[in-house]
Amino acid sequence: MSENPAETNVSRRTVLRSTGAAAAALGIGGGGLVSLSEAADDESGVFTDYVGEDEVIPNSCAPNCRGRCPIEVHVRDGRVQKTEPGIPENREYKRGCTLGLSHAQRIYNPTRLKYPMKRTGWSADDPNVDGRGEDAEFERISWDEALTIMADQMEAAKAEYGSESVYFESGSGDYGTASDHQARLASLFGGTRMDWSIDINVGQGFRRVGGAGWFNVPTNQASDLKNANTIIAWGGDIFASRLQQDSSKMLDAIENGGKLVVVDPVYTGTAAKADLWLPVKPGKDVHLALGMIHHIFENELYDAAFLRKRTLGPALVGPDGTLLKAADVLPGSDEDKPVAYNTETERVEILEPETEGAYALTGEFSVGETTGRVALDALEEEAANYVPEDIEETVGVEAGNIRKAADWLATRGPGGVVPGLGVDRYKYGHIFGQAYAVLVALTGDYGRSGSFQGGYFNGAAADFGDYSAPEGSPGYEFIRQTKILTGMESGDPFQIKVLFAQESNFIANQLPDRQRWLEAVKNLDLIAVSDMHHTPTTQHADLILPAAHWFEKVGATSPSTHPHVMYREKAHDPLWEARSDFWINSRLARKLGFGEYFHDTKPEELESMLEADEHVDYETLKSQGTVEKPVPVVKYTGEFNTDSGRLEIYDEDAPSEEGISLEVPRPVESRTAEDWEGADEYPLTFMQKHSKWRIHSQFEYQPWLRELNPEPQLDINPKDAAERGIEHGQYVRVHNERGEMVVRAKVNDAIQPGLVNTDQGWYTDDFVRGHHNDLTHTDVSPVTGNFAFYDVRVEVEPAPDDIETNMYTENPTGVPERTGDRQ
Amino acid sequence: MTRYGLVIDQERCIGCQACAVTCKQENNVGLGQFWNRVLTEGGDHLDTPEGGYPEHGQDGTLSMNYQPTACQHCENAPCVKVCPVNATYIREDGIVEIDYDKCIGCRYCMAACPYNARVFNWDEPEHVPKEGTGDVEARPQGVVEKCTFCSHRVEEGLDPACVVNCPSDARIFGDLEDPNSTVSKYIKKYDTHQLLEDRETDPSTYYIKGEMSPGRPQISDKMESELSPAEREEAGLRPTPHVPESAAGGDD
Repeated sequence: MSENPAETNVSRRTVLRSTGAAAAALGIGGGGLVSLSEAADDESGVFTDYVGEDEVIPNSCAPNCRGRCPIEVHVRDGRVQKTEPGIPENREYKRGCTLGLSHAQRIYNPTRLKYPMKRTGWSADDPNVDGRGEDAEFERISWDEALTIMADQMEAAKAEYGSESVYFESGSGDYGTASDHQARLASLFGGTRMDWSIDINVGQGFRRVGGAGWFNVPTNQASDLKNANTIIAWGGDIFASRLQQDSSKMLDAIENGGKLVVVDPVYTGTAAKADLWLPVKPGKDVHLALGMIHHIFENELYDAAFLRKRTLGPALVGPDGTLLKAADVLPGSDEDKPVAYNTETERVEILEPETEGAYALTGEFSVGETTGRVALDALEEEAANYVPEDIEETVGVEAGNIRKAADWLATRGPGGVVPGLGVDRYKYGHIFGQAYAVLVALTGDYGRSGSFQGGYFNGAAADFGDYSAPEGSPGYEFIRQTKILTGMESGDPFQIKVLFAQESNFIANQLPDRQRWLEAVKNLDLIAVSDMHHTPTTQHADLILPAAHWFEKVGATSPSTHPHVMYREKAHDPLWEARSDFWINSRLARKLGFGEYFHDTKPEELESMLEADEHVDYETLKSQGTVEKPVPVVKYTGEFNTDSGRLEIYDEDAPSEEGISLEVPRPVESRTAEDWEGADEYPLTFMQKHSKWRIHSQFEYQPWLRELNPEPQLDINPKDAAERGIEHGQYVRVHNERGEMVVRAKVNDAIQPGLVNTDQGWYTDDFVRGHHNDLTHTDVSPVTGNFAFYDVRVEVEPAPDDIETNMYTENPTGVPERTGDRQ
Repeated sequence: MTRYGLVIDQERCIGCQACAVTCKQENNVGLGQFWNRVLTEGGDHLDTPEGGYPEHGQDGTLSMNYQPTACQHCENAPCVKVCPVNATYIREDGIVEIDYDKCIGCRYCMAACPYNARVFNWDEPEHVPKEGTGDVEARPQGVVEKCTFCSHRVEEGLDPACVVNCPSDARIFGDLEDPNSTVSKYIKKYDTHQLLEDRETDPSTYYIKGEMSPGRPQISDKMESELSPAEREEAGLRPTPHVPESAAGGDD
């Protein structure tokens, strides 16, 4: 086939002989101190031939995206030469994305942390907290010294403030087992760990109806998408932020004749593929859902049999708004169960889960001495306030299209709603979770193939038993991130004095109202941060602990979104003095007197952890690379995990927001409301989309990605730009009462007038000035405690003339050189 | 005879740039250079639509598509015609390649290529990591380079990297001369087009637009022609063995 086959073969053999020198120059394999850059500076490190034979080993990507793809790592002479998607047991899940294909640039990135470091000026007696931050300098110390400092400070804080004053933070930097090891240590020590305050809004709202949901909502396996006849992708750009595993399956659904409806204020790449795009205004998602619910009632498109069998639709509601209970209204019954009126027996009967009956779906009935009104009527009555033609201007969606989407969902067979994390990020986003849970209850879209109720496709998780909380350990305090903040600030609920963060870029980058966090950590005596790369958070640390890249450690990952547990084989030892998360936690444990609770090596530890899993054992996992667990394809097939065992489309225990009680969904808004008090001063809503260029703040300095996406930008509609005298490509200042950022304007018609966006995750160094999280706030709903990143208002103006932007004009990929020099 | 070709389903392409990035990885393409680009068909910038944002909540006033573009591997390649030193040539299997030892850097081929598919190494190529990635020979300063359909993989029976690593199954590679290959079938079945057909370059790259295809799910790195009957079945392909070219069609 080739014109010169002989030459090709010769060149391969030549290279096989010559690459040995390259590996030696890198010092890989010996775990030595020779740094990558030192090797590269050496003349012998100039490579003229790149051909050779690779060994292929299994690993996996787990950066808190929804993909968690198996990866094939190609290793040559002890170096990672490239990555490709791995092939798991169920080959439908052989996927990978742009980011997973760039790991060679992540593992050998100049921003890798090389040695344990201590901030110059920090000491146990005087932590010199004002020395933290952008100008902090660090000096190299030994691992023993680093771990000794940590252990001493932890013990000191424990003695003075109690063990819970030591905060063990695991971010979302690697869904391997790092968090499990840290949890075990925290539990033994009696420290504190954080429960999330991010992306748990919609899930909690859904949970009130469907009895499941936290981070988004569990739903059928992704492989079942092809059987959906209508998919409403609501508030999520699937083809950008979760394209890894989901894009092919979503496309298969379209190819198979399914209709894709996209609800998004932004004309995203996903909207571009949709059969119908509903350009909803920010914060009007519940209005829209109620408009669709109204259409379904008005045209009697609901699934009556499903409502009778599996929901509280037919339940009778008493005059006080609570459900009538059998014990109160049925003579001789002591059951605390809801009741319904059976039109055949003409009697009021107990509403058991999963029971069919000729229950009335509308009307009012006398029950003993009281009257009961069918719950579904309360929903219908509320939805009647949202007639599509009346709300189209408010919601921003043409009435005919609201009706069309509802029609498709109700009449085309199995379908459902696949929410992203967009609506989560409004203060009262949980009400949307309730609203769409009710919507898909009306259409009967639960418990069947092709029906979807969430964005968290069913998958496998390894079962590690009680590993995170070993028997006899004092256990750890588990408090929300909102409380971690107040704990550091003012001791509410208790004082936090020491932070050990791993795989986390939270405090200086990813949390809302960034300046408040940076101020709060001034109350900490020690901030120790373990990471692969130099992040804004490591820059704010007192101790920097270099962590191994995922390919530098043995491990196991659980995707939760597809049915495999995946093995990680080590490509080579950690570079420089980096160490695996297991090593760091277990060696710190030794210093703290808990060494006996950890094995010497990660493989031993993993083998023992997996003993609790009845489907996955270490040896099989290691030999196969992936193990498929028996995970149901279809969710919600039996009784719901609710008090009644039914979908609680009327929630008698409903919370209130702003004085509005939520038995049925009712819109409540914060800063997206037209009449929000600051709207005149800050007229633009500011969101920070998940992009296809990074996962949160990970994959930050990948030159291949930076070439395509060099710097943070502000998406702004031409109308809003013109009003402010802003042209495409110009630097603009985005500001509100909390802070500012300066970024380049990307004037485009995909973004709704009145809305602006900067993709989230950029580091502080990437901004000409400020940071996107200097603009966000920590104002949360008391019901869900979820950070409301998109419920933010700003104003935009041309940037001042004195800004320095040569960081981009002189260095097109934007990778700051000084970052590497700080190590 | 074999003539390799590529079908790209633009209905399945989501503009994720995985093909662009995996191409750089596989072929060790230097910083600042792209052999494989995903252009936005829409607004003036990457990932922007054309049209105006709907004022009254309608659907369909904006549009955006993606145009993945690399060397089209033309049968009637203008680059080959203009090369004064025969450094650019068409292989027997239809792949257009460059002999870097012969290339004198005159860049006539770049001017002749209507697809802007070629790049020139003005400087010594720079790689991150410096040790390079992938599995191809080095190209020096002063030569033109471009997509090779990953000929080094094709020779080992593997699909090109952009095909194997497309998360959307939007790329299908195979033998255009084989009537049983998925590429041949798709070209027949779907409304495919070649880029700039009026130039009569007869590219080996075809695009599907209008109706989405099922793609070709990749259950391994192997080219379709290398799959065993069992693997063909698993990949959703007809489990029949390849029909020899001589037997296809019946009367020729």
